[in-house]
Amino acid sequence: MTLRAKTALVLIAIVCTMAVSSSHAQDKFRLKPGAKGKVCLDCHETFKEKLKAPFVHTPVKAGDCSDCHNPHASSHGKLLSEGVNRICFSCHEGIVPEKARSAHKVVTEGNCVKCHDPHAAKNRNNLLQAGNELCFGCHQRIAKEVAGNKFKHNPVEKGCLNCHTPHGSAKTMSLLKSDVPGICVACHKPDAPSFVKQHMGYPVAKSNCSSCHDPHGSGSRGILWGKPHQPVVNKMCNQCHLDPSSPNALKTRKAGLDLCRGCHNAKMNEILGKKRVHWPVVDKMSCENCHRPHASRESDLLKGTQLALCGECHRDTIERLDKSAVKHKPAQEGNCTKCHLPHSSNNVSLLDNTNSINLCGTCHDWQKHSSHPIGEKAADKRNRNITMDCMSCHAPHGSDQKRFTWYDVKMELCVQCHEQYKR
Amino acid sequence: MRSAMKKVFFTSILLAAAAGSHAAEPLKFKQMAPIYVDGKGAGIRQPEGVSCKGNALVVADTGNGRLLRYTIAGDAWTPSGEIVLPQLPYPIRVDMNTKGEIFALDGSSRKIARIAPTGEFLGYVAPAGEVQGTIVPRSLRVDRDGNLYLLDVGSARVLSMDPSGKVLREIPFPKEYGFFSDLAVDAGGNVLLLDSVRKRVFKAAKASTETRPLSESLKEEAYFPTAIATDRQGTIFLVDQNGDGVVILGPDGSFKGRRLSMGWKDGFLRYPAQMCITENGTAFIADRGNNRVDGFLITE
Repeated sequence: MTLRAKTALVLIAIVCTMAVSSSHAQDKFRLKPGAKGKVCLDCHETFKEKLKAPFVHTPVKAGDCSDCHNPHASSHGKLLSEGVNRICFSCHEGIVPEKARSAHKVVTEGNCVKCHDPHAAKNRNNLLQAGNELCFGCHQRIAKEVAGNKFKHNPVEKGCLNCHTPHGSAKTMSLLKSDVPGICVACHKPDAPSFVKQHMGYPVAKSNCSSCHDPHGSGSRGILWGKPHQPVVNKMCNQCHLDPSSPNALKTRKAGLDLCRGCHNAKMNEILGKKRVHWPVVDKMSCENCHRPHASRESDLLKGTQLALCGECHRDTIERLDKSAVKHKPAQEGNCTKCHLPHSSNNVSLLDNTNSINLCGTCHDWQKHSSHPIGEKAADKRNRNITMDCMSCHAPHGSDQKRFTWYDVKMELCVQCHEQYKR
Repeated sequence: MRSAMKKVFFTSILLAAAAGSHAAEPLKFKQMAPIYVDGKGAGIRQPEGVSCKGNALVVADTGNGRLLRYTIAGDAWTPSGEIVLPQLPYPIRVDMNTKGEIFALDGSSRKIARIAPTGEFLGYVAPAGEVQGTIVPRSLRVDRDGNLYLLDVGSARVLSMDPSGKVLREIPFPKEYGFFSDLAVDAGGNVLLLDSVRKRVFKAAKASTETRPLSESLKEEAYFPTAIATDRQGTIFLVDQNGDGVVILGPDGSFKGRRLSMGWKDGFLRYPAQMCITENGTAFIADRGNNRVDGFLITE
């Protein structure tokens, strides 16, 4: 046998050995049947019961646990192959339309499990609860109102999804299936004689119905919002609007402030007679910056709660309040008008008193226990033109210090003035 | 030879880097003597307006219901009289023209008083001829030619008038805005509007009636800016009332930095209001919460 032949034989033997050992290794790591999910149930026995529910998530039904879970290791809880807030979007990518006008907060936050059971549930679409109960779990204020309403809106009773889409809406606000008034006139025909009569002949077919009506029902006849404007209750639309027969019937008789002055003249004179006006009161929108003209859920026909309404412009103040560890109670409760006058004042920051000592004194009996000198005769050592008052030490909305002082009481506050004690 | 060249190369890189970092630094505010009193030694109270032209400085001493005049001489200022008028009980914004006439917005009547250099009341500003809509001025500005600009929140526009009151231009507010608190006219005649709510500056080019956003929203840089001023280089200064500071923008609206902070002592601010800047770069800020007018020299 030549050397060349011997070498060839050795090479063939090596190749054969490698092939045999490789096929052995492949067998060793070959997945068992059902490894993508069914074998999981060998250990997760209690899960078998769950799968008896009438609605089972498709990958679960197919026994593909590994579609969502990594069988070996994961950086996320429950061995999920992606974060709990992202994993659903790996299949349900377009659940919120691109450039949606409104999107459900829980969806955008990826909190799908707030409504859906990822494995199986008693309800269609794996919903945790059926019908309105699911929505009312979070939207408790609406739930309470709906339950207590004397005059009910029939579609609400039948289900929120009659009007709303649950994930996101490309074209409408408030997750509505279509815009107002389109969604309303689908049921309420504007040319029906009773409709025309109820609206005093005004051409409201293209108006915003929810300017007057609470779509969820109300305690008032005609499901008007809970706090309607008196001319609306009296059906005296022409007190503010032109006659229904005129070409621009919905146009108001006057614009802005001048319109409201027609009835609220004394109030207007009081507002405008003070040194400082809240500027939105006198701008083009005037009263309508804060008040709804027809009806509102809030008192004084306000567009929203004080915190939400004031926060529309004074977001910086609200955000700083949110970040403050210690908050002044009225500010925390959103009771801005406890200290500030909303329309006008003779004092800076539209405060309801000439000086902060008297203002704070309406709630805090500082006179009885305060030991630090304050008032006109107590000079502020930091500034020759200022005297000591409550705001010399306290931040009026809140701060990170106890009793919302500007600085830490132990180390920083007092030495602002008493520098000789600075350590 | 090679090592010498290396040294030269690295030194020049270091110098270039140092020069670059210097150029990027925002302007500095060097504290000068604040104004606490009038000519008789009586304290200023809650001042909200300030205007400076040439060597003249006018302060709206809002809490005391008067205007105070000072003469600027170098880095010192001396009182030069007060103006008390029944037609101007609560001045909140002021400006002057080159003739020394004062224009002051009264907070209670929301009218602009025109005052002669002698201190005499000349009347309230009103446009000549008929102008549509209710005029409610929130602020005012006088340009180099003596033209008056009213920030008219009542009809959502800027009204530009020549010294005789003839309306030259109406600049409607843009479609999307929060609330405009102040305006400025830069050296090039461009009108700048300050949106306090959206924290944004808008610009209407000279002779144009269209406003466009100049800056991005300054949400991260400002809390609630309520006054705007420019210097002769076109740098824009926003007085951040609730943030107790000054935000500096380039002429193109780009953010350049933030200066000053909250406090009671000299050099600090509490609820600052209007700001003016002299030709030589001295800035005055009506420091409402501190009952004084702060002076700063703005330097590179």
